[in-house]
Amino acid sequence: MLKYLRELTEISGPSGNEDAVREYIKEKISGKVDEIFIDRMGNLIALKKGKGNGKKILLDAHMDEVGFIVTNINDDGTLSFAPVGGVDTRVIIGKKVRVGKDIMGIIGYKAIHLQKDGYMNTPKYSELKIDIGAKSRAEAEKQVKLGDYVSFVTNYEERGDFVIAKALDDRCGCSILMDLIEENTETENDIYFAFTVQEETGLRGPAIIAEQLKADIAIAVETTTSGDDPELEKQLWSTHLGDGPAITFMHSGYVVLQTIFEKLIETARQLNIPIQYKMRTVGGTNARRYAFTGIPAGVVSVPARYIHSPVSVINRKDYEHTISLLKGFLRRTDF
Amino acid sequence: MDKKATELRELKTSKLLLKLSSIPGPSGYEDDVISEISQIMKPYSDECFRTPMGSLVCVKKGTGPKIGFFAHADQIAFVVTKIYDDGFLRLSGVGGWDPKTVISQKVWVHTKNGKVRGVVGFMPPHLQTTEESKKVPDYDHIFVDVSMNQNWKDISIGDLVTLDTEGFEKNGTVFAPALDNRASCVAIIKAAELLSKIKTDAEAYYVFSTQEEIGGPGARSGAYISEIEYGIVIDVTHGDEDIPGYPRIKMGEGPTVAVGPVTNRRFVEHINKISGKYNIKVQIEPIAGRSGTDTDEVQLTRIGVKTALISIPLKYMHNPYEKIIVKDVEDTAKLLAFSAVHLPEIEYEELQNTGSVREGE
Repeated sequence: MLKYLRELTEISGPSGNEDAVREYIKEKISGKVDEIFIDRMGNLIALKKGKGNGKKILLDAHMDEVGFIVTNINDDGTLSFAPVGGVDTRVIIGKKVRVGKDIMGIIGYKAIHLQKDGYMNTPKYSELKIDIGAKSRAEAEKQVKLGDYVSFVTNYEERGDFVIAKALDDRCGCSILMDLIEENTETENDIYFAFTVQEETGLRGPAIIAEQLKADIAIAVETTTSGDDPELEKQLWSTHLGDGPAITFMHSGYVVLQTIFEKLIETARQLNIPIQYKMRTVGGTNARRYAFTGIPAGVVSVPARYIHSPVSVINRKDYEHTISLLKGFLRRTDF
Repeated sequence: MDKKATELRELKTSKLLLKLSSIPGPSGYEDDVISEISQIMKPYSDECFRTPMGSLVCVKKGTGPKIGFFAHADQIAFVVTKIYDDGFLRLSGVGGWDPKTVISQKVWVHTKNGKVRGVVGFMPPHLQTTEESKKVPDYDHIFVDVSMNQNWKDISIGDLVTLDTEGFEKNGTVFAPALDNRASCVAIIKAAELLSKIKTDAEAYYVFSTQEEIGGPGARSGAYISEIEYGIVIDVTHGDEDIPGYPRIKMGEGPTVAVGPVTNRRFVEHINKISGKYNIKVQIEPIAGRSGTDTDEVQLTRIGVKTALISIPLKYMHNPYEKIIVKDVEDTAKLLAFSAVHLPEIEYEELQNTGSVREGE
C-alpha cells in the first residue's frame, strides 16, 4: 500500500495538463485490469470485471491538481500567471515552482523593508510574478511560452503515520484506486476505475462519462479539508486526521443519495472500520457531476490538512481504512 | 591543508553560495555556519579565532595598514513561543519576516535532540470567513503543525525554527535562502583567496559576525579585538527595485559603494579609484544617516575606524528565496582584495598631506 503515492504527488498535473499523471497510472495498472481506455477529455478508465450478475460500480479519483498557467511574459523577464483551480495567493509567495516541463523558478515578493501601508492585505494575482532568472523578455521567451502550466515543487515525505506532500488532492484518491486494483478484490460487481481530468476547474472531466458507460453507482474517492488546527475552535472543524475516512452526507450542490450514504456507514459498522462524518457542507466533488448525469453517487474522503497549498498532510491510517471500507463496499451485492 | 579544505577551495562561487545558504545560522545560533566558514578560511589565514560574542576572526598577517572585512553570518529565523497539546506551535520572528512568505512552508524546529519537521499551516479557503480571506494572518494566527513527528514533545519554548528551502542556480543567478548575508560571506572568502595569491603588506582581518539581524553586538566585537584602521562592511542591498528619490540599483551591474556619514570619504574615494583601475563596475548608493548595517557600529569602535560599506544587489530580501547574480559576488571579492592591496598608497598619500587622491582618476 502507498507505494505509488510518492511518485504520484511529485508529478506535475494541473487541470488540463494531466498527461504525465495519466501516463504514469496507465503504465502501472496495465495488465492488472480487464480493459483500459482513454476518452475524448482525457479521462483514463479501467474496468475490472466481476464474477457474476453484479452491478456496475464506478470509483472516481481526479488526476488533476491546482496550479497555474503563464499569462504573460513581461519585459523584465518575469512571468505573470493565473491560478488553475482555487489557489489562495497567501500560500504561494516564496515558493519554488516548475514552469512547463523543467524550468525552475520562484514566486518572489518585494522585500518587507520596501512595502507600504496595506502590506497585510491579501495580494492579488496581478501583483505576483514568477522569476525564472531571465533578464529580459527575449531570454524568457526562449524557455517559456504563454499557456505553459506551472506547479508547486514539493518533496514527498512520510513521518510516522503522516504523509506530507503536494497534490494529495487528489493523487491520494488515485493512489487508493491503484492500490485497490493491485489488491485484486473478488466481487460480483464490475468495477470501473475512473481517473478523471479537470475536477478543480468545475468537475468537468466526469461530465462525459455517463454517456460512455452506464454505471449504477459512482463513488468519488477524495481528500477533504479538515480544519483541525488551533485557528478553529473544535466545533468548527470539518474532519479530524486519524479518526478514519470521512463520509459526506451533503456538500455544495448535492445531497448524497440516502441509500448510498447509509450503505457506506453500514459497511463500516459491519467491518468495524472507524469513520467520521464530514461535519461541514462546504466544498464539492465529482459526485455532484455524476448525480447530474444520472448516476447516483456518494463520497468517501481521506481527511487532509492544508489542501490547495504546496504542503498538505494526511494520516496513513485514514488512507488504509478508506481502502478497507471501499473493499467492503465493492463486495456488497444489495445495490 | 587537510582534504576537506582542499575540496572546498575548489568550490566555485555559486557552489559556495549554495553551500553556505544551506546551513542554518539564526542570530545567536551561528555556530554551524561559522564552523563551516572557518574550515574554508583556514588555508587563507595565519590564524582564526572566535570573539567572546561568537564572531569568527581570521587573520592574514602583514606589516602594513590593518584592514578588516565584515560580513554578518547570521540569518533571520523564528523562535517557538507557544506549544499546544495536540502538536501545534506559535512562532515569533528573529529578525524581520514578511508573514506572507512564511505560510505553507516546510520548516525545521531545532530542538536539543535534533531537527523536527514542521509545516506552517493555513486555514483552508472553504472554512474562512470573508473577513479572514482579506488579510494576511499575523504571528498571532500563523501556526506550525508538528503533530506528524512522534518526538514532537522534544520541542520546547525558545527552540529556533528555520525554513526548509533548498537553493538552486540558473545561468549565473542563484535563488536561495539567507543570501542576506551569506553572499557577503562568500565575497570575503573569495577576496581572501585572491589576497593569498597577491603580494601585499596589508594585514587583513576577515570577520564573520553574529547577531546583525537583530541589531546585536557581533561585528563590533570583531572590530574591537582586531584594532583595525580601515574597515569594509559587506552586506546586501535591494536590487532591481524603484525607491523614490534614489538611484535604481541594478542586479548584475556590480556592487554598490555607499556614500554618506557612516563611511570615510577618503577611503571611499580610494575604493572608487580601485574599481576604475581594475575595471570593476560599481554603483553609488547614497545613505543619508545610519545605514542599518554593521558599518554604523564598526565606525565607532575604539578610537574610530575608517569605514566603507559595499553592498551586493539582492532581490526579494528576507524572502524564503532571495536572488543574487553570481558575478556581482565575484566583482565584490575583487574590489575588496584590490582595495586592500593598494592601501599602502593611500597611507603614503596621507603622509604627503595632499588632501585628495585625484590623480589617476
